[in-house]
Amino acid sequence: MKKQTVFSIGRFVLLAFYVLAAVFPLYWIVVTSLKGPKEIYTMPLQYLPTSATLDSYRKLFSFSSFSLYFRNSLVVALISSLLAMAVSILSGFSLSRYPRQRTKGILQLALYFTQTIPTFLIMVPIFTMFSKLGWVDSTAALMLVYVATVIAFSTIMSKGFFDRIPVSLEEAAKIDGCSMFQSLFHVVLPITRPGMAAIFCFAFINIWNELFLAVMLLMSNDKMTVPVALNSFISKAGISWDVMSAGIVIALLPTMIVFGFGQKYIVAGLTEGSVKG
Amino acid sequence: MKKHMTVLFVLCALLLVLSPAFAAGTKEVASGPVTLTFVETMTSPSRTTQILELIAKYEAQNPNVKINLVSPPYEQADNKLTLMLNSNQELDIIEVRDHTVKQFVNNNKLVDLTSYLKAWDQGDDLLPLTMTAAKTVNDTPYLLPQFFFVKGLFVRTDILAKHGFTTMPKTIDELYKMSIAITGKAPNQYGFGFRGKGSAFKISDILILSDVANINVDNIYKTTDGTFAFSTPAARKAVAAYVDLYKKAVPSDGINWGFNEQVNGFISGTTPFLVQDPDTVSMVAEALDPSQWTVIPMPVGASGKTYLDYGFAGLGIPTTSKHKDLAWDFISFMINAENNADFCRAYGPLPVHTSTYANDPYFSSGVYKSWEIEMSDPATYVFVKYPLDNPKYPAWAQIQEQTMQSLLLGSTTVDQAIKSWEDYWK
Amino acid sequence: MERKFYRWMLVPALLFLTAFIYYPVLRGTVMAFQNYNLFDLNQLKFNGFDNFKAVMSDPHIRFAQILLNTAVWLFGSLFFQFVLGFGLALLLKKPFAGRGIYTAFVFYGWALSGFAIGLTWAWLFNGQFGLVNDMLMRIGLLSQPIGFLSNPNLAMISVIIPNIWYGVPFFGIMLLAALQSVPNELYEAATLDGAGAIRKFTSVTVPYVKPTIVSTILLRTMWIVNFPDIIYAMTNGGPVNRTNILATQMINKVFKEYDYGQGSAIGLIIMILLFAYAMLYLRLTEKGGDNL
Repeated sequence: MKKQTVFSIGRFVLLAFYVLAAVFPLYWIVVTSLKGPKEIYTMPLQYLPTSATLDSYRKLFSFSSFSLYFRNSLVVALISSLLAMAVSILSGFSLSRYPRQRTKGILQLALYFTQTIPTFLIMVPIFTMFSKLGWVDSTAALMLVYVATVIAFSTIMSKGFFDRIPVSLEEAAKIDGCSMFQSLFHVVLPITRPGMAAIFCFAFINIWNELFLAVMLLMSNDKMTVPVALNSFISKAGISWDVMSAGIVIALLPTMIVFGFGQKYIVAGLTEGSVKG
Repeated sequence: MKKHMTVLFVLCALLLVLSPAFAAGTKEVASGPVTLTFVETMTSPSRTTQILELIAKYEAQNPNVKINLVSPPYEQADNKLTLMLNSNQELDIIEVRDHTVKQFVNNNKLVDLTSYLKAWDQGDDLLPLTMTAAKTVNDTPYLLPQFFFVKGLFVRTDILAKHGFTTMPKTIDELYKMSIAITGKAPNQYGFGFRGKGSAFKISDILILSDVANINVDNIYKTTDGTFAFSTPAARKAVAAYVDLYKKAVPSDGINWGFNEQVNGFISGTTPFLVQDPDTVSMVAEALDPSQWTVIPMPVGASGKTYLDYGFAGLGIPTTSKHKDLAWDFISFMINAENNADFCRAYGPLPVHTSTYANDPYFSSGVYKSWEIEMSDPATYVFVKYPLDNPKYPAWAQIQEQTMQSLLLGSTTVDQAIKSWEDYWK
Repeated sequence: MERKFYRWMLVPALLFLTAFIYYPVLRGTVMAFQNYNLFDLNQLKFNGFDNFKAVMSDPHIRFAQILLNTAVWLFGSLFFQFVLGFGLALLLKKPFAGRGIYTAFVFYGWALSGFAIGLTWAWLFNGQFGLVNDMLMRIGLLSQPIGFLSNPNLAMISVIIPNIWYGVPFFGIMLLAALQSVPNELYEAATLDGAGAIRKFTSVTVPYVKPTIVSTILLRTMWIVNFPDIIYAMTNGGPVNRTNILATQMINKVFKEYDYGQGSAIGLIIMILLFAYAMLYLRLTEKGGDNL
């Protein structure tokens, strides 16, 4: 009994340590966003704003078309992560069931290989290519690139999920007269739904935060995404910390929501994915 | 089975075929008003608002022209513009900076503005410095400068008074001595708002090289007799003094200070002296009372002069533009004396017209008085150029930053640092 | 018939990868062998290995230093990300009241962008207005603020800490999922065999989640090496090059010096090193990274 108590106190202390370490940067950003521009640079530091104000947020939305950028980002991230999820269901399933081991190995290597590539190496060639195709400043084209940047990891994940589903399920469906397509969509997919949610969340978070490709491939101010808008608060005259911190807080909301609601599924999905079938 | 495969294939094909179709939706239709694309590069949210106001004014006067403003974030803007130009995107007006003009001209991207300037009724009103800046490359005006950044010395008069200092530094030597003397007078009290990273040389060069009597005005790193400026005995001494200043009057953190930290140090009073451009004025004014601070002309070096770099940016027309005359019309609107003065008043830097300084009290009074003095006393305030056309210039900022930091930290000696700079510029 | 079906299913993914990843990489690779400097594109020509030579023999920005920094950055970040992430996963394995909300708060950092993290931590580590210095001084651990980002001996640690902070959630989630998938029967059997907690951990838990460990570490390695965002925002490689890694030097070459040739050469070096590392790693762990 005693040992148990010590153990759970220890666990509690450790859990508290983790959450404090995780939260304190966020705390400071939130506090900064609630201080006025003057108080931010006042010594000694105030751990809570003496007169909390939403001015920074007001400034954020009136100064820049932040709500527009927010919408742009939502559209881009939602569509491209859904598309990435769809594409990776196909590729992951295929890779999981692929009959020839050699080809399978090469394909996997090709997927892992993409993770070694620095974005800056492909950025200029992509821009040149887009410019020849007339795709610069197209949100749709940007989404295609985004799908490409997350598809390798999505496929690796989705293959992991399908690996756990016994092939016998599909064989049974086949005997019942299902085509391969039908058995994928009606038999296999429903079981891996949490896994698909996990793929979606990973893709969404990565795409929501992407900065450099968006900066380079979009032109019009009204197509900007949130990370680009945040970056615009850095000018020759440094960083406007009041607006910047408010922007960081707002930019965090969608991913927090995706995470808050999705994490149960993410963990559940990944749990299924990590069992060896 | 076959059917499904076909469907899948068609879907993929459709995706790839259709994507350019929906991608190309941005192309302009030929009829209707002409749209000019204008790329700014020194982006900041408040400045963009200012430009949009001017654009609205222009569009109201010219109903047949629409201006499409593109505002990439400051840090990536020059790069993005370069990429756009080199892939021959259709741009009509671009913001060109002192360090990008050479590169754009090398690659044949900028239109010669000589004939436009000749025909412009305000051409004669431009400052001589404006024309010098315009003709930075090949003695040809490839851009019309819109504003200047010239350094001045920001001073926290209240902090100085509190510690019993009543005079202002006239020379760099006095500035150093005062900075060192005030350091430690109170807890967390230091003297000088150091710049350690992010083009720090734009400040240290003034402080160091102003001790050298014969700097070549066309290349700040050479003397008139052709020796490397830092290798002169005067500069060697000045580099050592600069290191001494860092050790005795600057928080050790100063080595990593960029613009923000510098200005924060000034506003909080930690470092009551700050060498900065006029666009800093609005930030400081927002946080401090007018009674707390002022700006004075840069102190002079042992040479009795101060070598000031003039940072500038202006507007140019890309060779690929299909509406060059209209683009010029817009540029001449943006940079006419009236709009230029309004723009600079809101944004901070120095305007480019002679008449503005004569007619607009804003730019010859208050803190701007100091810059007016700097602009009108060429014997004391000597404007010098960086070797912007040297292919080694773009990498210099990083090299200088790293070698200077190692000198400040005491890992290298003054002689070693100067030798490495001399080797670099060889 | 079946094989054909599987092949078709791969087509969309391969199209995306070929068009927007493999083809651009090929073009980028070509640039690495060209004198491709935007300062003067008239000089554009093939120059063999000149870019690689220039990068590796730069007298001011020493290549050996950059490699060393990259290694410290990688292993320092990876080790603590993994250990702390694994610890978190173990703590979260058993349900407790409020676990849902707790995990949301402990994992949110993963949802931030690297750029925002870098800025935030630069702000926390600020020598004058930084929360960290202020807290340490109030507690009495410090009498004077220290320059976390300006002291050459502290700078690397100060950029690694945010990176650890950022990477712990990834390992936490992945390993938590793996831990939850360990069948209870295995533990029950181990209990019957008289195994203690430590024995259970080493002989049941670790072997069972090993595939996940292998592939997450490999992926994370690649991501850390290709993640300049935090350093770029916090120190930009300084002071005196102490935090300059391959990825930040590549940004410097591309963004500051407009030298796409040398920038691409660094990019290629990153790819080659990572690929060699991955091969060696997979051989050592005897496991094709096919489990997540």
